[in-house]
Amino acid sequence: MAIAQFVVNGLLVGALFAAVAVGFALIWGVVDIINLAHGEMVMLGGYVSYWVLTFLLGEATASPLVALASVLVSVAVLFGVGYALQRALVSRVTDEDLFLTLLVTFGLSIVIQQLALQAWSADPRTVTVQFGQQSMNLGGVVVPKMKLLAFVGAIVLTALLYVFLKNSRTGRSIRAVSQNAEAAALVGVDVEHTRATTFGLSSGIAGGAGAFIAMILNVQPQMGLIYTLKSFVIVVFGGIGSVPGALVGGLLLGTVEELTAGIVSSKWTLAVSFSLLIVLLVVKPSGLFGDSVEGEA
Amino acid sequence: MSGESSVVDRYRARLDRALNAFSERAMGFGDRYGWHLIGVSALVGAALPVVGLQEGFYMSLVSEMFLFAVLALSWDLIGGQTGYPSFGQMAFFGIGAYTTAILFKDFSGVFPSAVAGDPLLLLLATLIAAGLLATVAAGLIGMVVLRLRGGYFAIATLGILLAIQQVTRNLEITGGASGKILFEGPTGTQFYYLFLGLLVAEVVVVYYLSNTRFGYVLNAIRDDEEKAVAMGVNTAYYKTAAWMIAALFTGLVGGTWSLFNTFVNPMTAYNGAWNVELIAMALLGGSGTVLGPVLGGFGLHFAVVQIDALFSGWQLVVLGSVVIATVILFPQGIVGAIEERASAMEYYRHGGQAAEESSDGTDQPVADGGTDDTTGGANE
Repeated sequence: MAIAQFVVNGLLVGALFAAVAVGFALIWGVVDIINLAHGEMVMLGGYVSYWVLTFLLGEATASPLVALASVLVSVAVLFGVGYALQRALVSRVTDEDLFLTLLVTFGLSIVIQQLALQAWSADPRTVTVQFGQQSMNLGGVVVPKMKLLAFVGAIVLTALLYVFLKNSRTGRSIRAVSQNAEAAALVGVDVEHTRATTFGLSSGIAGGAGAFIAMILNVQPQMGLIYTLKSFVIVVFGGIGSVPGALVGGLLLGTVEELTAGIVSSKWTLAVSFSLLIVLLVVKPSGLFGDSVEGEA
Repeated sequence: MSGESSVVDRYRARLDRALNAFSERAMGFGDRYGWHLIGVSALVGAALPVVGLQEGFYMSLVSEMFLFAVLALSWDLIGGQTGYPSFGQMAFFGIGAYTTAILFKDFSGVFPSAVAGDPLLLLLATLIAAGLLATVAAGLIGMVVLRLRGGYFAIATLGILLAIQQVTRNLEITGGASGKILFEGPTGTQFYYLFLGLLVAEVVVVYYLSNTRFGYVLNAIRDDEEKAVAMGVNTAYYKTAAWMIAALFTGLVGGTWSLFNTFVNPMTAYNGAWNVELIAMALLGGSGTVLGPVLGGFGLHFAVVQIDALFSGWQLVVLGSVVIATVILFPQGIVGAIEERASAMEYYRHGGQAAEESSDGTDQPVADGGTDDTTGGANE
């Protein structure tokens, strides 16, 4: 039964990892940017939710509906942050060598993290969501309601993004730019705007996931790097630019981590997931759902 | 850029040419007297404590500047010269730091008593182990990660750094999260000469290699690895060798640092901030060169210490901004920019496009026909 509990815990957290990773996969697939500041978007999203609730209600404690509304605010704010970052900074190195974009986003992650540290201190902060009963029991498996809500929220965010990319006009232009930016420009797509929108969407979904993470775990300025690396593990597993791949990868990574924490010790989760990453990279660099990576150099 | 500012343009062109001429002289001088320069600099460094540099803040500062120069140059050997930008160089620093810390503190009994009794000799003995272990670890890790390219390589190295950091934190022998306190190390002057010696040794090795077939192959791998393979070069051998040399010096300097610092724990030995600093130093000074990372290490560490004294806690904000600004504004770094100007000058002399007309004349020739190693590692 303990194993079932670990698996359920893993799936619940894994959906959040997946939502973060979907954003990471999107910007990588479309604009060819490995955004090392992606985890910082998660962190900022968590803080937006925390501060919105604190300013409006006086404390970061809210009913489920209000908490969900704060998630939407996080998505919107981080969309703006992402759009602005791409327009102002990242676009300057977008078509250059991958190494330069890595460095610029790495620099960004340091600056954002350190500014957050200066502004909000290193104390972890939590958004408390009030339920009549905090958890429920499903056939012997304890499911905290907040984690279930976050799970559903993360799945909904991911699904919305998927549908948006598939069906909306903006989504089609995003896919066009990802396939061939020059050809897309020839048929009248504003490439710079589309790329910035993609960056915004990527950051927005990370911010939304961050708000949920603030509710089930906590936020603190230095949490970002871990999420960037987890996203990388997931995307490598699921394939670049693949939303379903990232979803499966996220759920799997969450399960593996919870099983490691439950059976071995929570001290070893990071080492296990990164070892997994290295093995994956060597064995199957194209990911389980990806096409191929021959262009990657 | 049309007519209205022609006076400005003319002065700019004149300034450009003056700069180009200066750069060419400087590079020519560097090429001709490179070994002399290294020798004179080493002597000046060695003379400083003799002519009055006292143990204390300034000697530590200069020692740290040597340390960072070694780190930046090590990173650049694999990141700038070979085109494999590692985000996990500090892994080998930590391995070196912990090797000497553990041997020095807990296993000094295994050394002959004459060695164990003298802090300097004991440190030197443990440093052999530190260098060896870092190099072996690099060999094993390199076999795996050097098969990856670009972003995959960068993030895999970052992941390895974090994994090793966590393993260190979980083990008993390393003292866990609280680390190890190390007293009774060598004196400040001895540390000064150790760091200086490491830096000089590394500069000599890298400068020598950069003028041999080995160095040319590394640059060829950076410029186009497939082509290098097609020409029959065993690139895996060269990449791994460069990676191991970089790890050797990083491990040695890490091993020296742990006693210098009198304290080592997982946060400081695998210092995330230094991981950024050393990349910033190599880039700012000019990656793909020998002088660049050394100058970058000296200058940026000095600047970081000043910023830390003025606005404590903000040095990483500044550092991150420096990385962003460097990459966006001048990705070749200072020495790279000088090299580019020098080769532009050479280009004019061989009948390239005249610079008088266009204000961007300095960029044009290099893009068209500059010599191959002017673009620096960051562009490849």
